Amino acid sequence: MNSPEIQFKNVNMAYKGKSGEDIVALDNVSFDIQEGEFISLLGPSGCGKTTSLRIIGDLLQPTSGEVLVRGLSPREIRLQRKYGIVFQSPVLYDWRTVRRNICLPMEIMKFSKKERTARIDKMLELVGLQDFGQKYPYELSGGMQQRVGIARALALDPEILLMDEPFSALDEFTREKLNEDLLNIWSQTKKTVIFVTHNIPEAVFLSDRVVVLSPHPGRVSAIVDINLPRPRENSVRETSEFYDYIVKIRGSFEGV
Amino acid sequence: MKEKMLNIIWPLGFGIAILLLWQVGFLHMIFGLKPYQLPVPTAIAITLSNNLGKALTDCVVTISGALIGMAFGSLIGFMIAAIATFFPKWGYGGMIVVSAFNAIPLVALSSIMNLWFSTGMSQKIGVVTVVCMAAMSMNAYKGLNSLKPFSVDLMHTVAASEWTIFTKLRLPNCLPNVFTALKINIATAIMAAMISEYFASSTSGLGFAIKDSLRKGEMAMGWSYIVVASLAGVILYGIIILVERNAIKWHASQK
Amino acid sequence: MSVERNDRIFVGIVWGIVIIGLWEVIAFLLQNVFQDPMAATKLPYLHVIIATFIQNAGALLGAGLVTFSRAAAGFLVGGIIGIILAVIMSLSKTVERIGLPYLIISQMIPILALAPIIFNIVKDMDSARIIIAAYITFFPVAINMLSGLKAVERDQKDLLYSVAASQVEIYYKLMFPFSMPYLFTGLKIAAPLAITASILVDMLGSSSGIGVKILYALYSNSSNIFWAAVLTSALMGISGYYLVVLGEKVLLPWNKTSSKKGGDNV
Repeated sequence: MNSPEIQFKNVNMAYKGKSGEDIVALDNVSFDIQEGEFISLLGPSGCGKTTSLRIIGDLLQPTSGEVLVRGLSPREIRLQRKYGIVFQSPVLYDWRTVRRNICLPMEIMKFSKKERTARIDKMLELVGLQDFGQKYPYELSGGMQQRVGIARALALDPEILLMDEPFSALDEFTREKLNEDLLNIWSQTKKTVIFVTHNIPEAVFLSDRVVVLSPHPGRVSAIVDINLPRPRENSVRETSEFYDYIVKIRGSFEGV
Repeated sequence: MKEKMLNIIWPLGFGIAILLLWQVGFLHMIFGLKPYQLPVPTAIAITLSNNLGKALTDCVVTISGALIGMAFGSLIGFMIAAIATFFPKWGYGGMIVVSAFNAIPLVALSSIMNLWFSTGMSQKIGVVTVVCMAAMSMNAYKGLNSLKPFSVDLMHTVAASEWTIFTKLRLPNCLPNVFTALKINIATAIMAAMISEYFASSTSGLGFAIKDSLRKGEMAMGWSYIVVASLAGVILYGIIILVERNAIKWHASQK
Repeated sequence: MSVERNDRIFVGIVWGIVIIGLWEVIAFLLQNVFQDPMAATKLPYLHVIIATFIQNAGALLGAGLVTFSRAAAGFLVGGIIGIILAVIMSLSKTVERIGLPYLIISQMIPILALAPIIFNIVKDMDSARIIIAAYITFFPVAINMLSGLKAVERDQKDLLYSVAASQVEIYYKLMFPFSMPYLFTGLKIAAPLAITASILVDMLGSSSGIGVKILYALYSNSSNIFWAAVLTSALMGISGYYLVVLGEKVLLPWNKTSSKKGGDNV
């Protein structure tokens, strides 16, 4: 219990830019994530937050440094199918209906048909899209599509949920609603969530801890514990503690 | 750098290997062909160099017909697209009619043109004009009308006239599509010119020459005309790409 | 696309009437005002052509079917080869390196002009028709299919990768369905070409097919039959194209952007 679930140790990431120059995306980045924790990677564009997430998910390999998930490499965890991932855009398959989009990862993971149907029904209800199961993605609004993307990841009930700015393309009202919904879902499962965002209030509202990253090169400038009581509702946004955390995090950015 | 080298070496090596296999008769073996049916590359090259003068004369006839027809066709096609843009409701139907031209088999078209025109040259130009018209009008229409969101609104906020919108916004916006059409048209034009020569009463041009040499059983000669036609196509295509690079530097496809 | 559907149908009907009217008027002018002695050959009345077509429908459609079925066979063969090549090229960087330059160059080469040579080599008209139709279908299909396979977004692949999907599953669940609209773009380019190729072989010395009807009518100066045969071949080309469009509509009901994808295949 005490050894962290995910260890990010002295990770460096560099690649060649368009005109051949070296770009340092991550400069000696280290942090730990505990099991069942909701952690946010927060920072402006270019701080390497998405890169870090993709390294944990084995979608990118670091130039140097070590990443351990439950003492194993990200690749081994991916092959054990422990990850669920939500992208910045919905990433739906145009040729599949909403139901079959949610179904896709479960097909790969060979869930039984009965299990799949049950989970899809549950997820559709959870994200409020019961009446849209048979629609194609082009028939849905952007916000609805994004909810399908989230439902698809949650349907797996993954042990580690990776979310890459899942709400950044949505309007503020929808975003706050989905923030609250996400916390509700998470409080029932208590799985580890790694949440990438550039929105400070969102990070404070959702997280147990916020890893603040600064850009050029990407490095950790602060790790802030958020000790707001749970369960949190939207009213917590109006408290002075909430406001203090925002001020504190805003003050911890370097070179922006 | 290494990547670029591989991009050249692999296809070049493959091409040379095929030519060699062709030369030593391996292709003949697999396909069960006799050398007189499929002449070897050196035979084609020798025949071509022996008849270069005649081949070039025929080439000039075909290519000039193709280019004139392409110029007419592209111009008419563009004008149709422009008119359809100014009158969207009726123009759209016109575009469908024009696109139907695209589906009329070339061969049928050249037979009709054969009736209408007395000389091989004018028949050829007629066929190429119709064929090029369709591709240009469809592409140009797409370019004139698929504008970025709000760009027309921006023009309206400064009370621009339809004509200003056309020249300042639609015209530059459709340039990439126009070049796409030109690239399609150059290949189609040469092909259409040659095919119309197969059937016309003409006595010169690559198409006629191929048919004539096949009739006389001179396969190597037929192949060397194909080589000339292909080279002409590649060169003209290259010229269009060069012009395109300089004309639409701002377009994403050029980066 | 702001034009309403009903409006479009109305506009289409008006266009049809205008074209028919224009044809009749020009034919009338040629015959009676300009007194062109060749008028009946150059442009007979449309209603005369249609009447001739109906009278000879059996023979014309029979001949058309011969040509059409060979074109379809070649279209199928060429399409399958094109798809297979595109898949191999998407799997192997080396094969792509070798194949892509030739695919691009081949677009600048007057492939149809090879028809007489191939016919001369094969001699058998049926196989010549199929080979040439296949040959001309192959290139646009391979190029468009490949550009579809390469246009798959990284996130869409990562999604499958994150749940450790196999390569076969990635192709089956993602790459193939994704590239279908691109494939159809290639098929739409190829369909009229395949039919043209088949007719071309008819005219190079077959004994059956619509091309033969056109040639015979030309030689025997029966201009009405000639025009009816040309009309048949035009209908074949157009219906070939719209069969592919129909296939796309039926098979890809989820695809509402078909006209925007692919197309610029260079």
